[in-house]
Amino acid sequence: MSWIREGDLNLLQKISANVLKAGPMPKHVAFIMDGNRRFARKKRMERQEGHMQGFDKLAETLLWCKHLSIQEVTVYAFSIENFKRTKDEVDGLIELARQKFERLLDERENLEKHGVCIRVLGDLNMLPLDLQQLIAKAVITTRAHNKCFLNVCFSYTSRYEITNAVREMAWGVEQGLIKASDVSEALLSECLYSNNSPNPDLLIRTSGEIRLSDFLLWQTSHSCLVFQSVLWPEYSFWNLCEAIVQYQLNHKSIQKARDLHREHQALQQFEADRACVAELLQHHGNGKPVDAQRRQEALLHYTACREERTQDFLQALKHKRDSFFDDLCSEAVLT
Amino acid sequence: MALLYGLLWRLLLVLVHVNRALVSWLRVRLRSWKGRLWERAMAALLLPVALAGFSDRQKKSNHNPDAKANTLTGNLTASRRTRWLCDGRSLEKLPVHIGLLVAEDEPSYTDIANLVVWCMAVGISYVSVYDNQGFFRKNNSRLLEEIVRQQQDLLGAEASKYNVEFLSNGSDKHQHQVLSCTPTVKVLSPEDGKQSIVQAAQQLCRSVENKERSSKDISVSMLDILLREAKNIPDPELVVKFGPVDSTLGFLPWHIRLTEFIFLPSHKNVSYEDLLGALQRYGACQQRLGQ
Repeated sequence: MSWIREGDLNLLQKISANVLKAGPMPKHVAFIMDGNRRFARKKRMERQEGHMQGFDKLAETLLWCKHLSIQEVTVYAFSIENFKRTKDEVDGLIELARQKFERLLDERENLEKHGVCIRVLGDLNMLPLDLQQLIAKAVITTRAHNKCFLNVCFSYTSRYEITNAVREMAWGVEQGLIKASDVSEALLSECLYSNNSPNPDLLIRTSGEIRLSDFLLWQTSHSCLVFQSVLWPEYSFWNLCEAIVQYQLNHKSIQKARDLHREHQALQQFEADRACVAELLQHHGNGKPVDAQRRQEALLHYTACREERTQDFLQALKHKRDSFFDDLCSEAVLT
Repeated sequence: MALLYGLLWRLLLVLVHVNRALVSWLRVRLRSWKGRLWERAMAALLLPVALAGFSDRQKKSNHNPDAKANTLTGNLTASRRTRWLCDGRSLEKLPVHIGLLVAEDEPSYTDIANLVVWCMAVGISYVSVYDNQGFFRKNNSRLLEEIVRQQQDLLGAEASKYNVEFLSNGSDKHQHQVLSCTPTVKVLSPEDGKQSIVQAAQQLCRSVENKERSSKDISVSMLDILLREAKNIPDPELVVKFGPVDSTLGFLPWHIRLTEFIFLPSHKNVSYEDLLGALQRYGACQQRLGQ
């Protein structure tokens, strides 16, 4: 089955889509596609067949999202915790991923036509090398596309992602690119795997579970959470519409909470800068009192320097990440 | 055409709102009807006990009318206490740490205090109260007073054995008390969330700056230990969210990895049965931990 479905909505679906689009629409939706195994058990089919149907449903959902003008989708495909499953099932899931990423490379032109950019979030080092190379190829071929975005979380957990971000910042400190005092909420967000995407507006979990299971914990602080009882392979257009209506009902109050948080964050950054400047002045001025104007100038200067430092660091980090994929890809060509 | 769609969308929202209002009204109705039935049943059952108690007391102190009232309330609180404790024991599993997330504009201290007291009475050891605007953090002492008062009202004189440990922020001076079995109430605000992760990150980066460790050594468990030390509480197994906003609103992002979320419409006039329902639902949740 292919990644990209062609096709149109039926008349009723089209009208409903237009009605929904009259209201505020989520730009980025995240899915925890839960219930493939339960679906397989219910239908008395092989477990692997359940996972396959789950993938097909993803392709279908992407089509619906396109018609609903949702540009970005993030899905939880494989958690680091999933490595604990039976070897049989893990191998099956890795094999499925292998097939699908190969398929994706075959569909290169189609992806280009639709402008689909595919990103894979997670620690690829935990995967077999050939799958790593396939993923790197897929990511690099679609890197320049910018109409819609699909983020596949593979070998991912949110705590691992946050820890990795801290590790990257510590790397920056080691390299002398940033100081420990430059570490802030905004910088941490920029170091996450998801640094290229806005935070999701809506998170949907299927199959009736009511927890996040270590998925996008940092990014969904101000997202609308919708838990639906339908199993993922049975997900329908109407389930998606229902979730969007719920988002629309929440939209105003979540926006308010987001604004409040943004204000708070700016204040925190300002306070941190001021504390750093105060320390610097004290250090240089040997404890002599400093007049307000000089203090103000010093603060502006410090803020500008910090911003430059963090920009340089982020550039270096981006380069490091890009070359990880490039290296994998060129290795694959050589072998 | 766009105008028509806009109108239809508005109509849709109105319909959804009406539907919600209707459902919640019906729920309240049904509950009060059921509640009255319960009350009558309980009264019928307790009548002989109360009467026996009365006649006993009356013989001893018929010149003191206050005593009657005292025994009555004493009996009532005692029976309530045992009922709550039984409820807690009859549940399949009980969270060690419950989070109460208030996503409403005007918080009602009495209702929150009630919830906290009920949570402690069924046997939950850690209760944290959170709102994203920091109301409870700001009015910390008012909440504490209210909790102590409700404790006395609901649990009676014996309330002293539910000693409340009140931690307003990650202060270390309470560290030694967490080992004891008294329930702990914690007031949380957004600063305890992402900001505490940032602080832990800063701490680690500083140790890298001072060449105490290498960036490669940083691991999930290292960060987890740092964050746990700062909070001194286990991860919440259950968060009950009150109010119309379906979001975590910044509630401890690191700690909610495996937390079950249960949404209730409002904390105003919330009843014990609502909380028990949420706990029962939590009891039915199964976690596979990735397997």
